Amino acid sequence: MQVSLKWLKDFLDINITTEELAEKFTMSGNPVENIIKAGVGLEKVVTGKVEKIERHPDSDHMWICQVNVGAAELLQIVTGAQNVKQNDIVPVALVGANLPCGKKISKGKLRGVVSAGMLCSCDELKIEGDSSGIMILPNDTPVGIPVAQVLGLDDDILEFELTANRGDCFSVFGLVREAGVLLNQTPKFPEIKVTEDAGKNSADLIEIKIDAPDLCSRFSARVLTDVKLAPSPEWMQKRLEGAGIRAINNVVDVTNFVMVELGQPLHAYDYDEIAGKVLNARRAVAGEQLHTLDDSNRLAKGGELVIADAEKAAGLAGVMGGFETEITEKTKTVVLEAASFNSASIRRTSRAVGLHSEASGRFERGINEKATVTALDRAAQLLQEMGACKVCTGVVDVYPAPKPEVKVQFTCQQINDRLGTSYTEKEILDVLKSLGFKISQVTADFDEDEVFDKISYAAKHLGKAARNIARNSEVDDFVQSIGKTVGELMKHSTPEISATYEAIVPDWRNDVTLPEDLSEEVARIYGYDKIPATLPKGSQQGGQSKLQNFIDSIKNILSNLGMYEEVSFSFTHPSMFDKLQIPADSELRRAVPIMNPLTDEYPLLRTTLLSSILENAARNYSRKNEDVRLFEVAPVFIPKSLPITEQPFEIQKLAGLIMGRREPKGWTQSNSEVDFYDIKGIVEELFDGLSIYNYTVEAGEHYALHPGKTAIFKKGREILATVGEVHPAVTESLGINKKVFVFECDVETLMKCTAKKFTFENLPKYPAISRDLAILVNLDVAAGEVEKVIVKAAGQFFKEVTLFDVYTGERISGDKKSLAFNVKFQSKERTLTDAEADDAFKNILAAVEKNFAAELRG
Amino acid sequence: MEHKIEELKAAAGDAIKKVANDLKELDNVRVRFLGKKGEITNLLRGMSQLSAEDRPRIGKIVNEARAQIEQLIAEKNSELKAKTLQNKLASEKIDVTLPGRKIQRGHLHPLTLTLNRVKEIFINMGYTVEEGPEVELDLFNFEALNLPKDHPSRDTQDSFYITEEILLRTQTSPVQARTMQKHKDNAPIRMIAPGRVYRRDDFDAAHSPMFHQVEGLVIDEKITFGDLIGTLDFFCKQMFGESTKIRLRPSFFPFTEPSTEVDVSCPICHGNGGGCKVCHDSGWLEILGAGEVHPKVLEMSGYDSSKVSGFAFGMGVERLCMIKYAIDDLRLFFENDVRFLNQF
Repeated sequence: MQVSLKWLKDFLDINITTEELAEKFTMSGNPVENIIKAGVGLEKVVTGKVEKIERHPDSDHMWICQVNVGAAELLQIVTGAQNVKQNDIVPVALVGANLPCGKKISKGKLRGVVSAGMLCSCDELKIEGDSSGIMILPNDTPVGIPVAQVLGLDDDILEFELTANRGDCFSVFGLVREAGVLLNQTPKFPEIKVTEDAGKNSADLIEIKIDAPDLCSRFSARVLTDVKLAPSPEWMQKRLEGAGIRAINNVVDVTNFVMVELGQPLHAYDYDEIAGKVLNARRAVAGEQLHTLDDSNRLAKGGELVIADAEKAAGLAGVMGGFETEITEKTKTVVLEAASFNSASIRRTSRAVGLHSEASGRFERGINEKATVTALDRAAQLLQEMGACKVCTGVVDVYPAPKPEVKVQFTCQQINDRLGTSYTEKEILDVLKSLGFKISQVTADFDEDEVFDKISYAAKHLGKAARNIARNSEVDDFVQSIGKTVGELMKHSTPEISATYEAIVPDWRNDVTLPEDLSEEVARIYGYDKIPATLPKGSQQGGQSKLQNFIDSIKNILSNLGMYEEVSFSFTHPSMFDKLQIPADSELRRAVPIMNPLTDEYPLLRTTLLSSILENAARNYSRKNEDVRLFEVAPVFIPKSLPITEQPFEIQKLAGLIMGRREPKGWTQSNSEVDFYDIKGIVEELFDGLSIYNYTVEAGEHYALHPGKTAIFKKGREILATVGEVHPAVTESLGINKKVFVFECDVETLMKCTAKKFTFENLPKYPAISRDLAILVNLDVAAGEVEKVIVKAAGQFFKEVTLFDVYTGERISGDKKSLAFNVKFQSKERTLTDAEADDAFKNILAAVEKNFAAELRG
Repeated sequence: MEHKIEELKAAAGDAIKKVANDLKELDNVRVRFLGKKGEITNLLRGMSQLSAEDRPRIGKIVNEARAQIEQLIAEKNSELKAKTLQNKLASEKIDVTLPGRKIQRGHLHPLTLTLNRVKEIFINMGYTVEEGPEVELDLFNFEALNLPKDHPSRDTQDSFYITEEILLRTQTSPVQARTMQKHKDNAPIRMIAPGRVYRRDDFDAAHSPMFHQVEGLVIDEKITFGDLIGTLDFFCKQMFGESTKIRLRPSFFPFTEPSTEVDVSCPICHGNGGGCKVCHDSGWLEILGAGEVHPKVLEMSGYDSSKVSGFAFGMGVERLCMIKYAIDDLRLFFENDVRFLNQF
């Protein structure tokens, strides 16, 4: 909704700046998004009269003008234009003007002659008109006034971004009513009066029917005869232009004008084209042809509300009129329609057609169905005043179920309680009345029970006083006692007693039905900034769930391990499943599809985080960020069934990825690249930080990973993590020419496998003894298996084992590798002897020799 | 004899003086004079040949001489040591302007950092952190929030639908309804619900099909609009600094009445303008929508709106983060360029 300031000024005395008015609107709930300032660049352009004009002595095409701009002295201005004559009134840009065309005016000399300004052409002022010379204004134009005022460019436009509930403010009257309250003025609305001078009855000429009363609650029509189509008057065109509506002809302009003025969309039909002289609001039949006024043939889906004559649908109600009944040069008689259509139905139709018009927007928000006849009268009145028509007698008005008045009962206490304010009854009632609510009192100021309580209270104290008199017979004491009692009584009759009122909601306010709605009216008019800021009373225990804390821990540990957290979209594309080599029959391909994806890019919800994290790695790689360490905790979506009939499982997953340099680039650092053991180390450190112990690691398989470099972390039957090098075919399909290492975990499984208790272990009191064991085993022997055997054979004093060297190479046989372990023994009770350690070592050696045919390395 | 002692002393003094910078050379001098076969030692050995009356006197002189020489050697010794250390230190000089050894530091995503701060503030005020599904029922996402089908407000939240009744949640507000329905007997609630939300918007500098919100809900007896204002004022001061002000503009949401949009004073330029890119010199930044919970919303989730009232608010995490760090392009959050992530 946009409207010019002058239109508002027709009804109100607005003595504040446009910005101030906009601020008032915004701060009371009708936000002004933008002000289009009129006459920008014309601030220093005034009207001037050329008093004297003479040739420039040193130029054959320039003129020296003495110009009266309403100042004490004439301005000398040199111009190169040839159309200026003495006594012409012209726009004069004064020194300092910054014209819309970009020219800046300063004092200067033209061929030696001082020139203090510039006479302007239309083009220089950026207004339409003949630009072959200086713009010559009518010779009765006052001198020395801003040219913007003369040209009607001094009108600011307010652009509103209105909320969905305030349909009433989609009209000049609605905004004026609001502004009236804000400015504490009563608007001077025009008298709407029509002279029915056609000598015919509307009802004799046209029949109105409503076959779909659920979609059209009221249909009113007027008939206008002797229509003379012409351009509408300039003032109306200006107003419409300010409202962003193009002028067409007087009939169409008036329907638009009334729509903007009153908020009621109108439609004009060419009476002679209406078959059967009947208009019926009915549902379209599926497949029905609609020839709309944009000259396109549309097929109805069925169920849309149309206005039909005896033969065909003559338009999509409230959205677009019909082609045949459009107003044309030949139109003689017009049927004006003012109706109330169901907002949901209009919304569906206008979305389906893809057409959002000024009219459909108003119907969607809801119009004031009580005012259809007023709107018809207003339109008839305006056309009549232009001499464009005669008006038939009466309105054909079909209104099967008139809307009852909306009444809201409330107490002022209720309003104050909701807001946390202490407005007086008068303050509250005044605001509501000024907004057009009719207020009446329903109950007395206090109820009978309360009165009874007060009387009992008074009686009790008077009794006490009387007993005192009986004892003392002192009149003074009696008086004092009475006084005290009355004082107490006053203290107890607090103003909390609140009358119940009834507010009759004005016709135009469809949004108010509850006392809570009234509280907003009071709050917004007095200003939200007047409400005292308080904090809720009482206290409660805050905190987050175990899972949320666990996820926070994961993020903290991984960021401490040098990983960067990423946040990615939950969407994916089937091609990603191919790139990741997910097998055709895998559950992971059974992703949740989106019915209306934004683009083809993201039609599915992801089933693995690997798709996202690899995409992010690829994006970084393509941007030459080749050292990447990422992780993300986020849900994947696994359908319970396909097609989807219920919400899918949302499973929190954790994924991590590394590629590129092991250490940040630097003069001291090696440039070695990460490998499998880097990502494995990260997972191990993470698990340690999360108190996940006693898991096993074994070689495994994964669709997207290198078959020889995939490890599965397990605890019992639970899979804790899949870790490995991304399959070279996968990295290639992603355009990454580098080794990439990833892991993926299920967060809830991790949480389930954390040690429940963590207690500190005391520092050892007795020294440990350590022995190194270097053995040769076949290449295919897994170090993890050897370690397990060592632990098993190491005896009661075993403390820990560390693999500290792995060697293959020329010093040993080609099918062997050397593994070197350091084994520590320690007792909590005493210092161990070397003999004890040697015994244990012998057992270990025997065990590895037996299990792996290991030989002790010499 | 005495003469000889004097000569020896002088010779020792000269020898010590001559030692330039070698500790070993100094030790040779010590051996020559004070060693087992040294010249002073020899003198002492010759004492036995002296007369009884000379012996104590000469002995004293020899001992004094020895002490003097020892003293000189000790002085020379520490002088030489100091010099050696000095030389050593001089030879060890390094280029301290070379960069320090780099350590790989990780980074939390700026949205996580922002959300952590939001959670901290509200948890300290006694709020619990609640969650709900991202693939949500229309019932919770819209209907339980007083947004029936065909409500025009649904237009502003163009949704990704999975089926007619299931969609990607467009807001974190459904967690309100879910949390209320978990509670019984008008039990008080103080909660926030952070999470991902989805709208059918193009991906550009100002829009994203996925972003993050934090929903807040407080229900108790006599919770007022003033309580909402006080709470948000406190939150904004904690989030953006003590001098932060808030401005409330009346607005409309179907699930609150009265409703408000909340602006925060620009924490970058503090309203002083000067070409502020963050607030475009307006001095204010819109950060959240809020209001008193609509009685219908309370009733639909089993609360008695005549006994309790409440307030609710919702804010965009990206918005808070963009304001806090003066980030001007929403896409940066989801592209995960490591050069962006490593700044936080």
